[in-house]
Amino acid sequence: MKSIVLASAVTALLVLSGCGDKEPQVEATDAAVATQAAPVQAAPSVKAPVSSVVAETEAEYMARIEKEMKSIYFDFDKFNIRADMTSNVSADASVANTKASKFLVKLEGNCDEWGSDEYNFALGLKRAEAVKKALVAEGVNASRVSMVSFGESSPVCTDKTKECWAQNRRVDFKLLP
Amino acid sequence: MKIIISVLLVIVSLFASDATIDVVKKADSLPSIAIEDASVSYDATFKSKFFKTIAADLNVLTIFNVDKSYRNVNFDASEVLYENKDMNYVLRYKLVQDDARAFNVEMKLMRKNDVVLTKNYKVNNPDIYMFVAHTMAYDINEFMGENPVEWMKRKVIFSRMISPQVSELVVADYTLTYQHVVVKGGFNIFPKWANKEQSAFYYTSLAEKIPTLKYIDLKTGKSRIIKSSDGMMICSDVSEDGLKLLLTMAPTGQPDVFLYDVKTQATKKLTNFAGIDVGGQFLGNDKVVFVSDRLGYPNIFSLSISSGAVEQIVYYGKSNSACSVHGKYIVYKARESSESFSNNTFNLHLASTETDFVRRLTAVGVNEFPKFSADGDAIIFVKNYQSQSSVGIIRLNHNKNFLFPLQVGKIQSIDW
Repeated sequence: MKSIVLASAVTALLVLSGCGDKEPQVEATDAAVATQAAPVQAAPSVKAPVSSVVAETEAEYMARIEKEMKSIYFDFDKFNIRADMTSNVSADASVANTKASKFLVKLEGNCDEWGSDEYNFALGLKRAEAVKKALVAEGVNASRVSMVSFGESSPVCTDKTKECWAQNRRVDFKLLP
Repeated sequence: MKIIISVLLVIVSLFASDATIDVVKKADSLPSIAIEDASVSYDATFKSKFFKTIAADLNVLTIFNVDKSYRNVNFDASEVLYENKDMNYVLRYKLVQDDARAFNVEMKLMRKNDVVLTKNYKVNNPDIYMFVAHTMAYDINEFMGENPVEWMKRKVIFSRMISPQVSELVVADYTLTYQHVVVKGGFNIFPKWANKEQSAFYYTSLAEKIPTLKYIDLKTGKSRIIKSSDGMMICSDVSEDGLKLLLTMAPTGQPDVFLYDVKTQATKKLTNFAGIDVGGQFLGNDKVVFVSDRLGYPNIFSLSISSGAVEQIVYYGKSNSACSVHGKYIVYKARESSESFSNNTFNLHLASTETDFVRRLTAVGVNEFPKFSADGDAIIFVKNYQSQSSVGIIRLNHNKNFLFPLQVGKIQSIDW
């Protein structure tokens, strides 16, 4: 969980507004920190796979299952699911309904680097929505699926190559307790 | 020949006040100005920084030919330096640190050897010297009888991406010389000033389970949650009185524009199209301008809040995905190329709702987040070009663009 630390205030920006002004300080107060989502609680451990010698924590189990879920990739400026991605969606739906059935599924829509405005974020969201619809069509309960768009702000690759841009036009899966 | 000249004069006079027409002013015809430093305090490095800042500010005013030579002088000397005797104007200043360590500037503007303007400035913290320089330029501009450049004294707030899903919110002056991180860490984007005084701001936090709009009061440091929405939650615009917000939310996965009442916390959905509707901007009391792909590609539309009537307002370009409006003018971002596998160019264009003229304002790179100053005199924008993020200022009536590069990170979004 990333915490926000509020830095000290913008000091004395009200130039010439009077030297007697007391400069406000943005303190790293509890109030500010409290607005963050609560830390993930250590939930009761899930039953470990039979073959495991050491019991897996729930977080470890979630991380492992999450890795089994395959990202869905999209064409430039498009949010329809490509024919070559339908098998990935089916596999993801299967994992969501079996190994990950007790978790919520968060879909993270992403775009390539061409713009960071709201429209690009909306494009990322429409990609996530397309995947959600496909998952629901494969039997995943819609109420288990939430969505977010990261626009271009979460690239997995930052090179200026076509392969790199293609990798960034994607929807990732995250599991939530 | 006389007829041709007459026709040309009529055309020029017809369009003289239309900012969509390029106005090319000969630099040679501008009055010249030199700068003389008479400081008695501070080291050479600081004095050099102040000189460069005030020289840049005078340049951005675009009403002078600025001589960039740095020269020292006695503040009380009755005549300008010999080297500056042919200058139309000389700006002479003295930086003084007083006993309380406050930063003082004594300034005089000279026309030939006559002092035509004197002003004194004082701030407690020398680290914000650039705001004093901006204010000096503002005062000189006002003395010269030009339209006020209020935006020069304002702060900008931007989100800087540090790494994937890690950003910080930074308050700066318009040149990015001053930078102060106000929210560090986390995944926070789309900051937006909450009022004219710039004493508070909204921003989107993506570190929560669902996207959340937050508010921070810079005076008290208090933070509070405004609203959350699945999918998207962005404050696109704040009304002039700060009492209404235009939000982009997607509670059902469908991005739409919503009107939010700050006092009652009531939300009203303004758009209902089954595609993308984002980026609402207030236009007068009843209209909202927004970006929609309802024609199959992103373009700019207006919407009447009372009647719900939607109207296309930009007719040039096949991919216009961001805009800002001021009076009859609209500046928008247009994609110039549609390359899946090579570099793309996004330029800013200026259009008028009253004429068919469209003026391209930028030439290369990804230019976005255009925003008019409150008085419409200037447009601020973000340029990303060859791995360099910069803040740009366009002086519309002077046909000049200025770029101020960001040294570290990439600007995700900006407001001023």
